[in-house]
Amino acid sequence: MNKTSSLLANRRSAPTWILRLRRLLNYGDRPWNFLTIAMSTLVIILVVGVGLLMWFDSQDSRLAIGWKFLTPTLNASWNPITSKYVAWPFIYGTIVTSLVAIIIALPVGLGIAIFLAELSPDWLRNPLGWLIELLAAIPSVVYGLWGIFVFLPVVVYPVGVFLGNTLGQIPGIGIFFKGPIPASGSSRLAAGLILSIMIVPTIAALTRDVLRAIPNSQREASLSLGATRWEMIWQVLIPYGLSGILGAVILALGRALGETMAVTMVIGNSIEGTPSLLRPGYTMSSVIANQFAEAVDRLHTSALVEIGLVLFVMTLLLNLAARFLVRQVARKTPQEARA
Amino acid sequence: MRKFSFILTVLFFSSILLAACAQATTSPGQPQSTQLPADSVQINGAGATFPLPVYTEWIYAYQYVDPSVTLNYQGIGSGGGKKGIIDGTIDFAGSDSLLKDEEYTSGNDLQMYPMLAGAVVPIYNIEGVTQTLTLDRATLAGIYTASIKKWNDPAIAALNPIITLPDKDITAVHRSDGSGTTEIFTNALSSFSDDWKNNVGAGSAVEWPVDKAGNGIGGKGNQGVAAAVQNTPNSIGYVELSYAIANKIPFANMVNKAGQSVMADADSLASAITDYANSFDEKLTTKIVDGPGAGSWPIAGYTYIILHTTSMQDCTKAQKLLEFLNWALTDTAAGKRAADLGYSVLPDAVRTQVLDKLGQVTCNGNPVMTNK
Amino acid sequence: MSEIASKMTQPIRRVAFSKPHYRRRKIVNFGMLSLTGILTILALIPLFWIVGYVVYKGAQYINLAFFTQMPRPLGIAGGGILNAIEGTIILTVLASIIAIPPGLLAAFYVAYKPNTPLGTAVRFGTDVLSGVPSIIIGIFGYALIVKPQGHYSALAGGVALAILMLPIIIRSTEEMVKLVPHTLREGSLALGSPEWKAAASVTFPAALNGIITGILLGIARASGETAPLLFTALGNESYDVGKIIRSSIANHLGIFATFKNIISQPVDSMPLTLYKYSQQPYPERVSQAWAVALILMAFVLTLNIASRLWVQMRTARMQGK
Repeated sequence: MNKTSSLLANRRSAPTWILRLRRLLNYGDRPWNFLTIAMSTLVIILVVGVGLLMWFDSQDSRLAIGWKFLTPTLNASWNPITSKYVAWPFIYGTIVTSLVAIIIALPVGLGIAIFLAELSPDWLRNPLGWLIELLAAIPSVVYGLWGIFVFLPVVVYPVGVFLGNTLGQIPGIGIFFKGPIPASGSSRLAAGLILSIMIVPTIAALTRDVLRAIPNSQREASLSLGATRWEMIWQVLIPYGLSGILGAVILALGRALGETMAVTMVIGNSIEGTPSLLRPGYTMSSVIANQFAEAVDRLHTSALVEIGLVLFVMTLLLNLAARFLVRQVARKTPQEARA
Repeated sequence: MRKFSFILTVLFFSSILLAACAQATTSPGQPQSTQLPADSVQINGAGATFPLPVYTEWIYAYQYVDPSVTLNYQGIGSGGGKKGIIDGTIDFAGSDSLLKDEEYTSGNDLQMYPMLAGAVVPIYNIEGVTQTLTLDRATLAGIYTASIKKWNDPAIAALNPIITLPDKDITAVHRSDGSGTTEIFTNALSSFSDDWKNNVGAGSAVEWPVDKAGNGIGGKGNQGVAAAVQNTPNSIGYVELSYAIANKIPFANMVNKAGQSVMADADSLASAITDYANSFDEKLTTKIVDGPGAGSWPIAGYTYIILHTTSMQDCTKAQKLLEFLNWALTDTAAGKRAADLGYSVLPDAVRTQVLDKLGQVTCNGNPVMTNK
Repeated sequence: MSEIASKMTQPIRRVAFSKPHYRRRKIVNFGMLSLTGILTILALIPLFWIVGYVVYKGAQYINLAFFTQMPRPLGIAGGGILNAIEGTIILTVLASIIAIPPGLLAAFYVAYKPNTPLGTAVRFGTDVLSGVPSIIIGIFGYALIVKPQGHYSALAGGVALAILMLPIIIRSTEEMVKLVPHTLREGSLALGSPEWKAAASVTFPAALNGIITGILLGIARASGETAPLLFTALGNESYDVGKIIRSSIANHLGIFATFKNIISQPVDSMPLTLYKYSQQPYPERVSQAWAVALILMAFVLTLNIASRLWVQMRTARMQGK
């Protein structure tokens, strides 16, 4: 006790300037609050800014062309010489390639998620999960390069020939598989297949999280009633997490819609009249990538920005729907920062 | 405290906005010394891929001629060049596509200067065919209007009696970007065929009938078209001659207006130039397609550099740029290199005109080139 | 009540457990479960195929000169991609400088006050921003910076990439800050430190590993992007930071002017170069494209693996394993 009080009595105080600094730093909350609020506002300004820019820069074509710009038509034209612009071929191309991608990626992603969440042994789970996510990390241009020189000749062209000879002969849905696939393989089918590889990790990772978030009581209850493992997964877990899985699919769809480089490199960049998957096509993001740098005419630039606006709105809506659904079931982890 | 921070945020952003609006557009000029140290001036250009092989070699050689200048030219297509020079995002543009009246107006003080002439050749990749194909004006137009659909069409077979053409569909490759090469090609097609002239027209980007018919493919840049033809069997495309030579892609002979079958080379190009020797307009532009001469190559065109003539702000940069253009037009080694690559330098009369016009470029009111 | 009792005493229908049905269920079970395993392997095939092929093709062209030389014109053999490597580094550094401070600060706000209007709006905005296609960010960068400034520049490219990085950084930082136990922060506050000090010297170091992970992932994403650079950075075969610095020294320019020279010129980046070269018919350029793909992929995948390893170690440590 004596030692303490003598220590306290004899303590030396810090130099004045340090004391003043300390007292000043106590008021650091004001600039801190200002900074955090300012930066948060910056994010919002950015988002709103992008939307507003798209809206204002597309004004010329929105006013000049109106809704005809978007409506499906058989006689679409995109002609900078005559200044006639109809965006339907690009919208069709984007939708069709994304649909093909989802149709293929959904079962695969679901299967992977089920395997990772329910079936794989513990030691395999993490490495396997990483490997799948590495698929998502490969840059888009590398996919495009590999696509042009490897995937298209080896996989897409034979598949295209096969589909043309089988499904292309059926009346009705045959129009989607008609026409010889170009020898280089550049087609909507190629874009759809490469897109599917790129979005499988998104579906797999999110669905896996959805499944992991389902309480064990559900699993135990169904197993105790005599269900086989698969029946437990298919009849209990999937319906339980359905909204989350749906959210994952919609999110992946949003990614597929906006993908530019890999698609541009393999889709053939041609505004064709046919709706066939086996023929070259064009997507919204590809036409912007190809033509924006050289659109001199105001209406042309405005039409391209309007396509960008449509793309922005589509991905915006899909993203919101997805986040809403996913948040209902799954908790997010840092690994999905890319998704 | 929250309200205070909110007010501060608003002030913060408004001040940033004001500062951004007050921002000057270009950086202050480099020090005005006669002998500049290495790499002190950076000049950016972009545009046509038609002259790209020559321009990249000239730029590479010029760094030894004048080390104080670093040049950069990106081949993004004539359309990209025109947009860049009009928007003011590049210092000079390369374009084989002529500026339209609206573009002259929106760009203010633009002027096109011919630099070289080159030939556009039809390249092809036909299974089993190693000999040189011959096409004429009607068949080439027919292929691209999709009225001729197969390689063994009678019209093509008639021109190539010794070649066995396969019974395969023709895939016609065209440019997917705004292209001066396309403009030269479609100008030629319009001259070959009234059907093409009336239904499609000429321009840097057109609506290709082959796309509508289902056998068209788009490639980006001359390189893209060359690559597409190389990779697609039974296809045809159009590129500048040097791309075909450098990549050993077979290109067709054409039967010209005079009825002679010509190969694209320096002589036929020179003949095409002579056909239109006096047809330059006051804007210093002209078309040289479908010439009447016996040995003329029918699909030829000039390629131009576009500059601002009075509104360049950095005078040192302007001077260095004009020195480069002067060197490119007058230096014999540079001219020889261009000729080796399959282009033709300007005839002397035209070159004098161009150099005169270059001498009239001013910066801040003073002429840039004080010596020639 | 008696109805239920009577139902309970009736024999349970044993159809579902009868032998043929059970066998079929067992077969379906086995089949579907193996199918999931097959699908997993199927999905991994493209990964190994791409990586393997890029390594195989790219390694044939890689040599030291490739990293240290500028590109040569097409007629002359050799040359490298020094301009693209430097461009990628400059763009990534710029994007990081622009995106990290705002991202961290905004994330702290969202993590601390998630239920305020601004907090909800920022989370909403981050979601939207992460879904915007990168080509649209390119248009934004062109309209915002390239056109007013009058030239393509590394700055414009850096800003576009920063916008792409921002949602990744905010999202991962927010997650990591939320993971820090609130007792740490409260303890610091109880000792009399101001809120900002609690955040900066207690929460931030605690969350640092995860934050770095998020930043690394953001960098990996930004360095692999091409679309936003098409209209902002344009491309530049003569870009060499060394040359710029030497010329600045020779011209007696100050540090700011040098810095300005570095960021205000068009630049190439590895993905841009890859895209341009892949469209060329010249075989030399195509080989170079594969080599660029190898370097790019190695860089991006290493960042990804490193950051995930970090997260793994970190969460293991925090869970006390």
